[in-house]
Amino acid sequence: MAFNFPLSKSLRKARWKMKIRDKEICEHPHVTIIRGTVFWRVNLRTWEFMDDDPDPALIPKELIKILSQKETRQQLCREWDQMYLNNPVSDESKE
Amino acid sequence: MANKLKESKKRPPMFLLTRGKKRPSSFLSLRPQIVSSKKQLSESVRSATKDSLWISYEKDLTNDLMRFASKSNSHLGNGLLIHPLDMNSIPTLTSLFDRLAFKANGGFLPPHELAEVFESENRSDLFIGSSVNSDTETITFWRGDFRSLTVPFSTFNNSGDGTKPDFEECAVIDSGLTVQLGDYEAAVEAILYEHDLEFRRRLSKKRLQEDQSFGASLRRLRKQRGLRREDFEPGICAKTIARIEQGKVSRVQKSTLDVLSSRLGVAPEEIESF
Repeated sequence: MAFNFPLSKSLRKARWKMKIRDKEICEHPHVTIIRGTVFWRVNLRTWEFMDDDPDPALIPKELIKILSQKETRQQLCREWDQMYLNNPVSDESKE
Repeated sequence: MANKLKESKKRPPMFLLTRGKKRPSSFLSLRPQIVSSKKQLSESVRSATKDSLWISYEKDLTNDLMRFASKSNSHLGNGLLIHPLDMNSIPTLTSLFDRLAFKANGGFLPPHELAEVFESENRSDLFIGSSVNSDTETITFWRGDFRSLTVPFSTFNNSGDGTKPDFEECAVIDSGLTVQLGDYEAAVEAILYEHDLEFRRRLSKKRLQEDQSFGASLRRLRKQRGLRREDFEPGICAKTIARIEQGKVSRVQKSTLDVLSSRLGVAPEEIESF
């Protein structure tokens, strides 16, 4: 089941979403931040942005702060691992 | 005047066939010509170009459009018909429009998200609607540039947590970035990667350019210099160059770096900056 991270009302109102879908492109484990037609992918192993563009600076600080919290990271990794049994976050050899 | 010309060249005319009062505001950014009567329709047909975009929410206005355009042998551009359609009107419509997306048993994005897709530079990589065919076990997706893509149900494997895609609950969401099948969601990028060769090539090229590893830098620099892997011989054999570029060599020896540096014409420490 797709995981939609529960964001604050203000972020939702501004149309921000953070999700892990059941079918993602086969690469490193990642979470996708979405706003309108634009999206950013964040690597769940390194917590780095996976693409050069769009510019991560466009993401509000509030959302970046949420993403840097330990609990958020643990939850995202847990959700990914449940959906992608063959490519778990903890499998470092795939990095 | 020059600016005006530039602006009109950039944005092809858009015609919105609707009587809904709220709908036009969703498409405001596309500066649509609102068409809600026969008179307006005949004027619109005259001003249409091959790049025009037509969106119709009204079946009777679409029928009138077919009548007017057939008489004047007009080429209407691209059409999106968001209303029930008679099968027998499809041949006429496909001859009038270059590309056509129409409502079958699926749906399209809400108006404000449709407008967002049409405004987007990467609209060809976004979906605007879908149509499920249970008999053939396929889903046809309409892309933002009005091309269609048909994929089998088998594209959507069960999620690791056991969630199965529900093909009766198919919808395009997230402004064209996600396909929803009940509780199951799929990234449009992942669907395109599997089923569109041109998209896959384009994405692979972009990802290679973004790869910051030493091997990727070496590959970019070698290509920029117009060199083949064999061109480093006899100092380094082509196989070794391939292994370095593929990230299979964990530590490049100093002697190898010196040969690379000399042949590529940059200092050893600069190779990684490419």
